[in-house]
Amino acid sequence: MRAALVGVALVCWAGALRAQTMRPFTTFRQLHGETRLDARLEFVAGRLRVGPGRGTELYRMNLAYDADRFVPLSRYDAASGTALLGVEPVGGPGLRVVSRHQLQQDAEVELSPQTDLALAVSLGAVEADLDLGGLRLTELRLEAGASRSVVRFSRPNPIRCRTADISAGAAEVSILELGNSRCDRLRVEGGIGRMTLDFGGTWTGSQRAELSLAVTELRLQLPRKVGVRITMDRFLASFDPGGLIRRGNEWVTPGYDQAERHLDLALKTTVGGVRIDWTN
Amino acid sequence: MPTASRVPAALGFFVFVLAPAAHASPHGLGHVSDVIETFRAFVVQQITQSPPKPKPATIAPAPGGPTVDLSDLSRPEAVERALRSAVPDPGPESRLTVTNGQARLGDFSIGSAETVTGHLLVLRGNANIYGHLLGNLVTVDGDVFVHPGGAVSGDILALHGDVRDQGGEIGGEVRTLSAPLAPAVPALSPLASFGRNVAGVAGVFLTLLALGVGLVTFARPNLEVVSDTVSHSFGRSFVTGLVGQILILPTFGMLIVGLILSVAGILLLPFAVVVYVLLAILGVVGGYLAVAHALGETYTRRRMAQGAALGSPNSYRYLLVGLSSLFVLWAAWCLFGWVPLAGEIVRGAAVLVTWLMATVGFGAALLSRAGVRESFAGRLIPPEALTDEYLWATPQFGVPAVRRPEAGPGARPGTRHDLGR
Repeated sequence: MRAALVGVALVCWAGALRAQTMRPFTTFRQLHGETRLDARLEFVAGRLRVGPGRGTELYRMNLAYDADRFVPLSRYDAASGTALLGVEPVGGPGLRVVSRHQLQQDAEVELSPQTDLALAVSLGAVEADLDLGGLRLTELRLEAGASRSVVRFSRPNPIRCRTADISAGAAEVSILELGNSRCDRLRVEGGIGRMTLDFGGTWTGSQRAELSLAVTELRLQLPRKVGVRITMDRFLASFDPGGLIRRGNEWVTPGYDQAERHLDLALKTTVGGVRIDWTN
Repeated sequence: MPTASRVPAALGFFVFVLAPAAHASPHGLGHVSDVIETFRAFVVQQITQSPPKPKPATIAPAPGGPTVDLSDLSRPEAVERALRSAVPDPGPESRLTVTNGQARLGDFSIGSAETVTGHLLVLRGNANIYGHLLGNLVTVDGDVFVHPGGAVSGDILALHGDVRDQGGEIGGEVRTLSAPLAPAVPALSPLASFGRNVAGVAGVFLTLLALGVGLVTFARPNLEVVSDTVSHSFGRSFVTGLVGQILILPTFGMLIVGLILSVAGILLLPFAVVVYVLLAILGVVGGYLAVAHALGETYTRRRMAQGAALGSPNSYRYLLVGLSSLFVLWAAWCLFGWVPLAGEIVRGAAVLVTWLMATVGFGAALLSRAGVRESFAGRLIPPEALTDEYLWATPQFGVPAVRRPEAGPGARPGTRHDLGR
């Protein structure tokens, strides 16, 4: 009898165990005439979408996070105009194993299209879709860990962007319609993975890009209307210069010197492949 | 049942039945299931009665009692914890001090001509802001409405509620932290947990047993040498296994870099990677099986030395007995894995013991070069030197040596005692 009671008690105790829980969290800030925003997004695991928001808000984040392992990040420093959004692990940084459940985390971040924006994004095991079209982007810094990220500039940037720094670990990164980004300089560092750089979009000036890749399969989508020059330093990497002609140590498009706008690519690649597709 | 009641009830039932089926469907129906889930939640919310709101009242400060500070709302879950701890069940009798502010129970409004200075906490009620609040605003189990003309100079935090900006001005950040959603991964019942654990452990056990039988059948000499290395050089094997684990990745990296740098070697890269990984797995799994073999052999020999009659004491038996011994802790985890804390402790112990044994086995496999080298296997005497006399006078594993006969006139000619004289 006593054993049965103990058994029932243990069963009840076990039944009361807490299951893993997802928790919704929302944060936003009204726009009060701010002219610039330094936004930093940190997201360790899950899905992240970023896009332009409504005109009355500086930023907004709708988040569903794993409440057992993470806490939401939502801080704004009015003096420096800096916002920190995302999630951070309970107990601070460290080596963690990401479970399938954490990958169900979901965040949607909206940023004001009316303020100048310096955006820094740090991604872990994340599936990210960043649509920066229409945002007044002055600077972009993206660090992607083991992620699958798509960065698109679906609409032209209203202002010039100084630099875009992309750093990818074991990741699959696609950056689409870079012509719309109006970034003077693009720097890309790639680890093991696959990368697509699409230079389509509306070109209003020339661009320079420095690509340093290792064990990466690079796919370049280049517009025919732009004069392209590629300076290549490769080691054990394949390269198909279809449509380019060799001029000394570099590859250029026919009529490069006469082109109105130029794209100068300095490419260092080790163990990988470079493929070029031409777009109209 | 009147028709008016029957329609929502039927709709609710339909949605309730359909929703799980949609969840089980492939990814293509993900959006459909989201919509259904949202609609189901809406129907359930409309049907279920919300708890009655308390009458509006002021929560009196508690000198020397619980106190909360609402000046920093950037960590909403910490604020929630502090509030739940200070006021577990808010009611008219509750007492709470809000640093530089006030606490209210039930619905609360700031009129258009009013200005409230300091932080405001509203428990179990809505906050309607028509006037000005010079401070932060927190609601628990209630919504915040900032009406046109209303202003909150600081941050707003709604715990288990919502913030409706209806045209007012909010100087700080707005945050809402809702109640946890229904668990995405439901907790298993003890019986289901037990069944799942048993299936998992049994599967691993049978797989290892099958691999072990294969090893005994096709590579018995190697297995026995590794097994003897475990028995005779346990500590050395452990240290070697530990160092081997530390070096396994750097060695792999050096191998890849070396092959890449040598022009011809790059062709071998894919094969080398596969072979290296397979060898590493074979070393760990084979070593673990050798430990099981050694354990079973030791146990069986001791039983036989104690006079137990065991039929066919061979390598298959050693392996079965050894593997069963190694899986005792995992069996305990199957039984008690669902018990909080104790289950985790048992699992931790099982993992630790398994890692220890795998490390020893891996080290023994390295020391014996996969069972080729016998230097550490206690086989220093060549087989031809194993005379009857040696075997008779030397203690064997688990078998006490027969007492040596006193040297004397009765000593057998040709024995060591006789020769030494």
